[in-house]
Amino acid sequence: MGKHHQNLLNNLEDLRKKAGLTQQELSEAAEVSRKSINAIENGIYVPSTVLSLKIAQTLKCNVEDLFKLP
Amino acid sequence: MTYFKRFLIVFICGIVQIFYAAYLLLNLFGYNIDWHISNHDLFMFIPGILVFVGSGILCASYYLGDRKKNNILYDEYTALRYYKIAAIGYVLNGIGIFILFSVQDWANWSFQNANNMIYQIAAFAWLTFGILLTIFSLGDYKEYKNG
Repeated sequence: MGKHHQNLLNNLEDLRKKAGLTQQELSEAAEVSRKSINAIENGIYVPSTVLSLKIAQTLKCNVEDLFKLP
Repeated sequence: MTYFKRFLIVFICGIVQIFYAAYLLLNLFGYNIDWHISNHDLFMFIPGILVFVGSGILCASYYLGDRKKNNILYDEYTALRYYKIAAIGYVLNGIGIFILFSVQDWANWSFQNANNMIYQIAAFAWLTFGILLTIFSLGDYKEYKNG
């Protein structure tokens, strides 16, 4: 559970790496700050619906692939 | 606008507010500093002018600048950072005002003392404002260095 938020499990780091993107590249493509991506990956921050959809759209996957309830 | 430019604008504003507010607080508490800022001088307008110009530049870049860059600069995590810093500000102000109330000489209370306390509270709130601006700007600097 190390990198997961207590209310949310996420696969963002794995999917980002599979897509061959750095945090910076993903943040620019999804139009959010690199800090947001880093905070989500490290389970510090739970993103909004809009941000989740933006990230999913950028990584060409569903939001359910990125995030799961614990 | 970039993280570095925003850092520069907010940091300069913040540090100047801290300097002036700390100077004013020290004066109000009777510490004599060798040199003086005259309140009849143009010097006293510097912090206000900086805040007006700084916020003007930030507003203009927000409304007229590149939308994609602004989405990144003002995203929801940045807003969360801002709220957290503002919450620290509320706490600092609360503690500061409590302390300022505690150190007053209530036994010899006068309008002069009341007036002085109002100045102290205003100077302390000003100091807190400067500290918050500086903390926020340091977050931007980290993002510029790591981004």
